[in-house]
Amino acid sequence: MKKRKAIILSLMLTGVLGLAAGCGNADAAKDRTAETGVSVKDKETPKTIQSSGAFTGELEHNVTIRVLENDTAIARGYAKELLEAFNEAYAEYGITAVDANMDQYLDLANDGPYGYGPDVLYQANDIIMQYAQGKHVYPLPVQDMECYEQIPEAAWKAYETEVDGNLYYCGVPVNVQAPMLYYRKDMLPANWETDWDKDGNGICDITENWNDLYAFSIARHEENPLNYGYMKALYDVYFSGGFLFSYGGYIFGDNNTDPEDIGFSAAEAEKGAWVLAQLAGAMNEECIDNTINTTCYGKIADGTYFATLSTPDVYSTFLEELVKSYKSEGMDEEKATELAKENMVMSPVPKLPESGDLSEENPVWMDSKSMGGVNGYAVSAYTKAPNACLAFVEFASGYEMMKLRNELLGVAPARADAAEVSGDVSRRLFENLEKGNIILMPSIREVAQIWTPGETFFTDIAKDAFRKTEEKKYQDLPAMKKGLEQVDSQIHNAIFTLK
Amino acid sequence: MKGKMEQAAGLLRDSGPNVKLSIVIMGGGQFKYGARGKGILFFLIQLSVLYYFITRGFADIAGFFTLGTKKGDAWLGVTGDNSVVMLLMGIFAWLVLAAFLYLYAMNIGDAYRMKKRLEQGRRILTLREEAMQLWDKKFYVTVLILPVAGVFVFNVLPIIFMILIAFTNYGGTVVPPELVDWVGAANFVKLLSLSQFAPTFVKILGWNLLWAVAATVLNYFAGLGLALLLDKDCVKGKAFWRMFPVLAYAIPGFITLLAFKFMFSYGGPVNQLITAGGGAAIGFLDLDAKWTARLIGIVVNCWISTPSIMLLATGILSNRDISLYEAARIDGAGKWKQFLRITMPFVLFSTLPVLIGQFVGNFNNFGIFYFLRGGLYMDGYFLASDTDLLINWLYNLSINNNYYCLGAAISLVIFVITSIISLTVYIKSPSYREEDTFR
Amino acid sequence: MRTKQNKREDLSMSEKHSMSEEHSMSEEHSMSEEHSTSKEYSISVIHALGRIFDTGITYIILLAVSFLFFFPCLWLILASFSESGTIYSFNGFFPKAYSLASFQRLFTDIAMYNYPRWFANTLFVAAGSCILGTFLVILTAYTMSRFEFRARKPIMKTTMVLSMFPSFMGMIVVYLLMTQFNLINHLWGLILIYSAGAPMGYLTQKGFFDTIPRAIDEAARIDGATNFQVFTKINLPLSRPIIVYTLLTSFTWPWSDFILPKLLLKEKNLYTVAVGLMSLDETEFARFAAGSVFIAVPIVLLYFVLVKNMVKGMAQGAVKG
Repeated sequence: MKKRKAIILSLMLTGVLGLAAGCGNADAAKDRTAETGVSVKDKETPKTIQSSGAFTGELEHNVTIRVLENDTAIARGYAKELLEAFNEAYAEYGITAVDANMDQYLDLANDGPYGYGPDVLYQANDIIMQYAQGKHVYPLPVQDMECYEQIPEAAWKAYETEVDGNLYYCGVPVNVQAPMLYYRKDMLPANWETDWDKDGNGICDITENWNDLYAFSIARHEENPLNYGYMKALYDVYFSGGFLFSYGGYIFGDNNTDPEDIGFSAAEAEKGAWVLAQLAGAMNEECIDNTINTTCYGKIADGTYFATLSTPDVYSTFLEELVKSYKSEGMDEEKATELAKENMVMSPVPKLPESGDLSEENPVWMDSKSMGGVNGYAVSAYTKAPNACLAFVEFASGYEMMKLRNELLGVAPARADAAEVSGDVSRRLFENLEKGNIILMPSIREVAQIWTPGETFFTDIAKDAFRKTEEKKYQDLPAMKKGLEQVDSQIHNAIFTLK
Repeated sequence: MKGKMEQAAGLLRDSGPNVKLSIVIMGGGQFKYGARGKGILFFLIQLSVLYYFITRGFADIAGFFTLGTKKGDAWLGVTGDNSVVMLLMGIFAWLVLAAFLYLYAMNIGDAYRMKKRLEQGRRILTLREEAMQLWDKKFYVTVLILPVAGVFVFNVLPIIFMILIAFTNYGGTVVPPELVDWVGAANFVKLLSLSQFAPTFVKILGWNLLWAVAATVLNYFAGLGLALLLDKDCVKGKAFWRMFPVLAYAIPGFITLLAFKFMFSYGGPVNQLITAGGGAAIGFLDLDAKWTARLIGIVVNCWISTPSIMLLATGILSNRDISLYEAARIDGAGKWKQFLRITMPFVLFSTLPVLIGQFVGNFNNFGIFYFLRGGLYMDGYFLASDTDLLINWLYNLSINNNYYCLGAAISLVIFVITSIISLTVYIKSPSYREEDTFR
Repeated sequence: MRTKQNKREDLSMSEKHSMSEEHSMSEEHSMSEEHSTSKEYSISVIHALGRIFDTGITYIILLAVSFLFFFPCLWLILASFSESGTIYSFNGFFPKAYSLASFQRLFTDIAMYNYPRWFANTLFVAAGSCILGTFLVILTAYTMSRFEFRARKPIMKTTMVLSMFPSFMGMIVVYLLMTQFNLINHLWGLILIYSAGAPMGYLTQKGFFDTIPRAIDEAARIDGATNFQVFTKINLPLSRPIIVYTLLTSFTWPWSDFILPKLLLKEKNLYTVAVGLMSLDETEFARFAAGSVFIAVPIVLLYFVLVKNMVKGMAQGAVKG
C-alpha cells in the first residue's frame, strides 16, 4: 500500500517535519472531544451539524487556490482535467485553481501556519481527521452541498467529529480505499466451472474463499515449482491486520478512539494469525520482507503469481504491466489492452472459514474484514479564500467529476449515482463499508505506534513458516495469542511510556 | 572576581569626562577625541539596538518567559501565540542583548585606550588605519566574523533552542497552537524514573560502542590503506584506480543503502543466485539475523565511508616531507618501519580530528540501520531492535511520538556523554596540544 | 612566541638528526657487507624480484578493491539500462535485456517528475554551497591554524563539542528560522545553510594546514607581506589537495542530502534530485534507478577535473621547510 510506503520511507521526515507544529495537537483536541462527548451523551441534547463561520457564501473574486491532488490523479491526467473544468466554470469570478505542486504526503500542521500549505487537499480520512483535531482544516457546511444526499452515511461518518456538543464534518468523501483481490482470470483452471464452483454461483470458488485459494496455490506450486498462487508481503499491517479483525481483533477500543484499549489479540484474533501462517506456507520466502510490494505487478503479469491483495487505486498499474507482458508475446496494442482488461480482475476479499483452518472441508464461511479508508477533500484552515475552496470541493465532488475520476483512475466513487455507473466493485465496497467489514483507519495520533510492533509480529509469523520444525515459534494457537498480546503491550508501551 | 571589581573601579576613577560620555552615549567619547567616523558608528549601533528593543526586543524577552498567553483557534478565526516562535525570538533577543553588551564594553574600552594614547602623547588612529589593522594584524578577526556568525545562527542557536526545549513540555499534545510551558527538570526526572529503560539502554549502548569503534577503525584504516596503496610508485594510472571508490562516493548514501537492502533481501539478486543454485534463501537482514545484519551494516558503512577518507588521506599524504623517507632509506629502514615511524605519526597527527569526527558520526549514525533494517521491535529490547543504535532508539521513543521535549532531554544526555569522551581524547591528542609538531 | 616556535623546530630537527644517526650506526655493519660486488648483484636480483612480487600483490589488491567498489555501482548502472525497467526480471545480478528507455523517460517524460529541473536545482545549490562553503572552511581552518589569539582554544573546544549534537534535533529550529527569514521555497536558503554550517568541519582542513611549515610565512612576513598576501601567495598554492578535497565533499553533500531540502523546499519544481527521487511512486523503479545513477555523473566529472590537483601539494612544492 502506498500510504505505508510513505510511512516507512519518510518516517524520519514526518518526525522531523511534524516537529514544529505537529499533528500532535490532534491529541489535545481529541481529549477535549472525548470529554465533551461524554457530557453530551449524559444530557442527550440533540447534536447539530456546525461549520466554520469562514464560509460566508460570498465567493472571493480574483483568487488563486492551490489544490493538492494525489500523484496517481496527476499522473493519469485526472487532476489536469478537473482543474481545467473548474477554471472554465469559475472564470467569471476570476477564481483559478492550480496544482499545489507539493508532495502528496504533506504536513499541513507544519506548513500551513506559515503559508506554505495547499488550500484544498485530497487525503485519506485518518490524515484529514488528525488535521481536524488540530483545527488545521475547516469544518464544512456539508448539508448545503449537492453531494450530501448522494454519499452514504458510512462514508460521511469517516469525517465526523464532535467538539463541544456540536457535530462537524471536516471532509467530503470522494472514494473508498480497501484491499481488493487482484487475480488473473486466464489462469484459473480450465475446468473451474465443474471442479471449483461448489455453490454454482458462476464465480470461481478460488476467488471467493481463502480455503480454495489456498488449495489452488499449493496445487499451482506443485505443478510448477517456479509458480505460486496467492502471494503477498505479509509484514504489511494494512493488509494483514484485516485477518485479525475478521476474528474479533481491533486496533483501538471504543470505535478506534481509545488508545488505552489495544485489541490486536482480542477475541479469537489468533485464528487470523493462523490463517496468515498457513498462507505463508504456500508462498516462498519473499513474503517475509517487502520485495513483493514492487515485484507483484510484473510477476502477476508474467504469470509467476496468480493473485495478490492491493488497493483499487493501483488497478491501472496492474493493467499496464499485463498489457506490456501481452505485447511482448507478440500481440498488438489494441488486442493486448482488450485482453488485459478482461483477464486482470479485481474482486472483494475472499471469505474466511470460521474455524480459521484453511484445509477444512465444508467450513462455515464468514465475511473477511479489512482495514480501509475513505479518501476525500478538505479545506485548509490557513486558506485566504475559503469560499472559493468550498466551491472547488463542491465542483470536484459533483457527479461528472466523480464519474471521470472513476473512469481514469479505477477508484470506487463515494457518490451513489457515480458508483452505479462504475459497476460492481464500488457497490460491493460500499456494502462492505456499511456492513462494517471495512474498518476505517483510526484517526487518532497514536495510530503511528501500531506499525512497528505489528510489522515485527507479521514478519515473525511469515518467517516461522520457513523455520525448521523445532525452531518454530508459533506452533499452535496459544503461542500466536501470546505473540499478539506482546504486540498489544509493545504498542501500549510505545504510546504511554513517555506520555 | 573581587580583584576585577577593584580594577574596574580603578579604571572608572581613572577615566576622564570623554570616557564617561562614552559610557552614557556610545561613541560620544570617540567623537570628542576626534575619531568622528568611529563615534558615529558606535552611536548608530546604540540607536539601532534601542530601536530593536523598543519595537520588539522587550516583548520578545517577555515572550521568552511566558511562552505565549493567547491560544489560537482557526475555526473561530482566533490567531494566537506561537510558543515555539516566541521561544526562538526570545533567544534571539538575548543574543542581541549579549552582542550589544559586548559592543558596549568594547566602546568604553576603546574610549579608554584613546585617552591613554593621548596621555602617552601618541596620535589617535584614523578609521582607515584601524581598518587596515583589521585587514592585516588582526586578519583573523576579519576572517572569522562571517563563519562565526553563520555557525552561530545555524548551529549554536538551534542547539541552545533544543537544550531549552528539554526544560519545557513541548511535544506530544502540546504543540502550537497549544501553548508550551516551562517545566523545569521534569523531563529528566521522568527519564530517571523509568525502570524499563536500564536493560535496553545497557544492551544498546554496548552495541553502539562496539559499532562505533569497529566502524571507525575499519573505515579509517581501509581509507588510509587504500590511499597508501594508491600512493605506491609502482601503481600506474592512479587517477583511474582512484575512480572506483570515487564512483561509490558519488552515489548518495541513502540510495546505496536502499540498493544494498534490496541486494540482500529475499527477492534480491544474492538470494536469487542461492535459490538458483538449489539452496534455501537466506534472511540476511530479517528479524532472526542479528549478527549477519550487524556485519552487513558494518561492511556497507565501510563501503560508503572509505572513499572520502581515502580522498582526504591522499591529500594529506601528498604533504609529507619526502626528505624524511630519503633519510630513512639511506639509513636502511624497511618499508614497514618507515610506515610505522614516519607515515603513521604524520597521518594520525593530521587526521585525528577526522578520526574523532568519524567516531562521533558513526556513534550517531541514524541512517544505516534505519534504511537497512528499520521497523522491527525485538524480544528483550524495549521498543528497539538488536541493530538499533542509541540514536535510532531515541527516535523510536521520542520523535516518532512527537515527544520533542523528551527527545531533547535524551539527546542532551547522549550529547554530554559523547562530548566528554571526545573532548578528553581531543584535548589530550597531539593535534591539539602540539599543533606545530610537523611545522 | 616566535622564539618559542623556532626553538621547538630546532628541537624537532635535532631529534630527527639524532634518530638518523642512530640508524646509520646500527646499519653500518650491513652496509659494509654490501661492498663485495657478487653479493651486490645477487641482492639486486632479490630486490628486483621482490619489487615485481610487491607490484603484483599491489595490483591484485587494487583489482580486488576496485571490484568491490565497482560491482554494486555496476549493478545499479546496468539496472538503469534494463529493458524491463525493473530489477525483478533479472537473471541473478544482471538484466536480461538492455535499453535506453529508462533514461529517455527520465529526461523526456517530465510532466509529473521533472528530473532535468531537479538536476538543475541541485547543480545550482551544490555549486553555490561548494564555492561559498569551501571559501569559508579554508579561511577558518587557515586562521585557526596560523594565528594565536585568546579565543582560539575555546573556539576549538566549542566547535568540537557542538559537532556532537544529534543533528536532526536542530532541524525544527532551522525550519522555524527559515520561515522567519522567509527563505522557504528558495534555493538560496539551502545554500545559506550549507555554507554557514561548513566551517563547523574546519578541523580536517586545520589538520592539513598544521603540517605546512610555518617558517615560510615568517620569512614572508619579515619581507613585508601582509597576512592576506601570505595566505593567498604562499599557503593557498600549497594547499591544493585539501582545497580539492573540500570542494569535492562540499559539492557532494547537497547531492545526497535529503532531509534539509525536503524540509525547506515545498514546491515540486524546486526539489533537489534526492528529494525528487524519494517522492517517486513505488512503481517508478526504472526512473529511480536511472535517476540515482545519473546523480553520480557530475560528481565523477568534478573528480576528473580536480584530480590533477589532488596530489600536487608539498610533494612537488617549490618550498621545503
